[in-house]
Amino acid sequence: MSFVKNARFLAARGARLAQSRAYSDEMKLTFAAANQTFYDAAVVRQIDVPSFSGAFGILAKHVPTLAVLKPGVVQVVDNDGKTTKYFVSSGSVTVNEDSSVQVLAEEAHNVADIDVAEARQLLSKYQSQLSSAGDDKAKAEAAIAVEVAEALVKAAE
Amino acid sequence: MTNAWRAAGITYIQYSNIAARVLREALRTELRTDAAKRNASHVKFTPWANGRPAPRQAQSES
Repeated sequence: MSFVKNARFLAARGARLAQSRAYSDEMKLTFAAANQTFYDAAVVRQIDVPSFSGAFGILAKHVPTLAVLKPGVVQVVDNDGKTTKYFVSSGSVTVNEDSSVQVLAEEAHNVADIDVAEARQLLSKYQSQLSSAGDDKAKAEAAIAVEVAEALVKAAE
Repeated sequence: MTNAWRAAGITYIQYSNIAARVLREALRTELRTDAAKRNASHVKFTPWANGRPAPRQAQSES
């Protein structure tokens, strides 16, 4: 008796799992940073993200993925085909089985909010900091800043 | 990973902090001041004794 009960329970659970694992045709994006929430489970068409394993685009039914964000431009194409560009400092991107996507950044801003002249100044400032850095750690820190400043200039131009 | 910063003993969290700071510095002037406030994080400690917060510490921190 209890075996039958268990089997029924397991079968019901299996059916539910199979249902919840169905790939969705819609992609729901949650894109947030410490400073602002840009999308909260909003349906979008495509997302391009820069990551340490290379930049990649995400469409609905993408294979589940985890990646670490690299400083660069996240591009979001909404359902009307409108593209919006954001600059992310760093963070993570999660693509789930149900086609929901989470992009979580430490700091993110619309590319239009970047001051190109300021970014260029920062680039040269950190380049000189890199060449005058004494120890390995200071050198590595300056190199990160140069990398980010280069990405900023490229994104804002 | 073969990153130079990782070899120098910098973690991704530290990398992330630097990247976020540089992004804040590159914002348009009207946004920069407000963004700079996020460069520092503040932690407030309140020690508890006998199920109540110790008042002296709480006052000195506020």
